[in-house]
Amino acid sequence: MPTSNDKRDKTGEGRNAAASLLSAALALPGLAAGLAATTAIPAHAESAPEQGSVDLKYLYYRDYQPGAERMRVSAPSFHVLMPLEGNYALEGSFVLDSISGASPLYHNTLSGASGLGVNDLRKAGDLKLTRYFERAAVGVGFAYSTEHDYVSRAFNLDVRIASENNNTTLAFGVGHASDDIDSVNFVARGRSKRTTDMLAGITQVLTAQDIVQSNLTYSVGRGYYDDPYKAIDVRPDYRDQLAWLTRWNHYVSSLDATLRLSARYYRDTFGIRAITLGTEWVQQVGSWTVTPSLRYTTQSAADFYYGPPFPVGFVPGQSYSADQRLSAFGALTPGIKLGKLFADGWRVDFKAEYYEQRSNWHSLIGGGNSGTDLLPLKAQFYQVGLGKNF
Amino acid sequence: MCQSAMQRLLLTAAVLLLSGCAMQPVQPWEKGDLAKPAMSFSVDTLDDHFTQHIYNSKENASGGYGVGGGGCGCN
Repeated sequence: MPTSNDKRDKTGEGRNAAASLLSAALALPGLAAGLAATTAIPAHAESAPEQGSVDLKYLYYRDYQPGAERMRVSAPSFHVLMPLEGNYALEGSFVLDSISGASPLYHNTLSGASGLGVNDLRKAGDLKLTRYFERAAVGVGFAYSTEHDYVSRAFNLDVRIASENNNTTLAFGVGHASDDIDSVNFVARGRSKRTTDMLAGITQVLTAQDIVQSNLTYSVGRGYYDDPYKAIDVRPDYRDQLAWLTRWNHYVSSLDATLRLSARYYRDTFGIRAITLGTEWVQQVGSWTVTPSLRYTTQSAADFYYGPPFPVGFVPGQSYSADQRLSAFGALTPGIKLGKLFADGWRVDFKAEYYEQRSNWHSLIGGGNSGTDLLPLKAQFYQVGLGKNF
Repeated sequence: MCQSAMQRLLLTAAVLLLSGCAMQPVQPWEKGDLAKPAMSFSVDTLDDHFTQHIYNSKENASGGYGVGGGGCGCN
C-alpha cells in the first residue's frame, strides 16, 4: 500500500506507478465500498475483486429492564465473497438467530411476565451476483428469512455508474420483499405484507482525505403491520417510509486514523420522525485497529401510539398501539471494536456495545400520546469475528 | 426548532456537496488515503447486518443503506 509520501511524488516513475495503482484502488468509490471490508482493494475496481474472503462471526445480544431480563439472541453468522470468471463476483451470507426471552414490558401476550415467553429460531440468508463493466456495476440479490411464524423473500437490483474521473458514483436500486405471517397464537393466520424499496444515492470524493455518500430511500409497504402478540394492537395496513442517510469519512494523516460520521433523517406515514447520528474513530496501531464509537437516535411517537395507563386511548375501529417501538424516545450506544490483521490474510475482531433507550431522552416533539414514561430498555451487543482473504 | 435545524443540515449538506463538485478534482495518484479499508462505507458486512437487524427490532426507523433486504417477525 503506498504511503502518503508516495502519492505526493508527482514526478517520473513514482507518479506513474502511483497513478496506476491508486486509480485502480479507488476508481469507483461506490463500487469499492461494499467489498473493501473483507478483501484487498481490487487491482481494477471496474472488474470483479481479485481476492475472495470468508468471515465467521458469533453475535450475542441481551436486553433487560430494571428488575427483569428480557430478550437474548445468540447468532452465528457466515459471509463469503468469491470473484468469478468474466468480471463477476458472488457474495452471500447466512445467519442463525436463536431468540429467547420476552419483549419489553407493557403489553404483549407472549411476554415472560405473562408466562409464555418467546422462543424462536430464525434462519436468514442472502446471495448477490455483481457484474462489473467499464464504469459501472450491476448487482442482483435475493434474500430469504424464515421463523416459526414469519417468512420473508426479497430481491433487489442495483446499478452503480461512475463519472469519467471516478470521483463520483451514482447508485440506483429497487427491491421488493414479500412477507407471510402466521402467528403461533392464531391471531394472524395467512396474513402478508409487501414492500417495495427504491434507492438513489451519490458517492463523492471531496478531497484526498474526504469522501461522502448520501442515499435517499423510499419504501412503500402494504399489508399486515399489527403485532399479533400484543393484547390490543391495530395499525394501518400501509406504511411508506423515507430515509435520507449521509455518511462522511475523513482520514487524519497525522494520526493514521479515520473519522467516520453519519446522519440519517427518517419519517413515515405512521407519523414517526427520527434522527440518527453516528460517529466512529478508527485508530490504526500497527496491525491493530481500535474503533470507539457513539450513536444517538431519537424518534417521535406514532400518531396512534398511546402510553400508559393501558388501554387508555383505545377506540374500537381506530388504529391503536402501545408498542414501545412506536413511542417517543432517545437512545445512546457507546461501543468499542478491536481488530487485528495478520500477515497471512487472517483477521480477528471483537466488538462490545452498550445500548440504553429512555423516553425522556427524546428530542423530537409530536406524534401520539406518550403518557407516562416507559421503563428504560438497556442492552448489550457482543461480536467475535474470524476471517481470511484468499 | 427541529425544522430549522433540519433546514440548516440540508443547506450545509448541499453546500458541501456542491463545493465538492466545484473543487479541483482529486487525481488518481492522490487517492492512497481514500483507498484505506476504514475509508470504505462498508467495513464489515456481518457487523453491519447484525447491528441494523438489532436496531430494526428495537426502534421504528430504518432505511438509507440499501434496498430489498427482506423483513423479519422481529418488528
